[in-house]
Amino acid sequence: MPASSETTVDLPANVDLHARPAADFVRTAMRFDASIAIAAPAGLADAKSLLSVLALGAKGGSRLVLRAEGADAAEAVAALAGCVGELRD
Amino acid sequence: MAAPTVGIVVVSHSSALAEGLADVAREMAGPGVPIEPAGGRADGGLGTDEARVRDAIARAGGGGGGVVVLGDLGSSILTVRHLLELRANGHVRLADAPLVEGAVTAAVTASAGAALDDVLAAAESARSARKL
Repeated sequence: MPASSETTVDLPANVDLHARPAADFVRTAMRFDASIAIAAPAGLADAKSLLSVLALGAKGGSRLVLRAEGADAAEAVAALAGCVGELRD
Repeated sequence: MAAPTVGIVVVSHSSALAEGLADVAREMAGPGVPIEPAGGRADGGLGTDEARVRDAIARAGGGGGGVVVLGDLGSSILTVRHLLELRANGHVRLADAPLVEGAVTAAVTASAGAALDDVLAAAESARSARKL
């Protein structure tokens, strides 16, 4: 049975999840084999798809839910939560 | 030794368009991915110049992981197809993708260390991506 992991994290107040911050997020997600979803106020996206993450249009301070499934799910969620906390515009 | 990196070539009728898009893609992908514009004709006019495309592919291939080429419209695509037919080479692939979204997505995917097939697939996934 594949492992699953989920956490909630807030975008820094002054960082929208666009352009370079979105690229940093997606690049981090791509390091893991797990399938990873990101839920934002506007919807749900594949965390490894830059264009779908951009389409979320998540604004600074938004609450994000990160959910991963796969052998490295826990590591993926921890790394992405750390990445979100450190995003800078 | 660093892992091979896939390079990106942006082909447009317009030099300004190709260079501007390469700038945007570099900003998002960071410095590790070779992203080369090939826009306009050698005399500065609008069009596609096969030699400029060929040179850009050679520069973008420096990362050792192969090259994904994106074109804007019509004769840009035909020029790239002609080049690739002349030099049948699985290391250089033309993406069937919208130019801006495809190039940016391909560049960011390449920056994560992805292989050529995965970078090409990322570019082509842009065909069905929604903006809203």
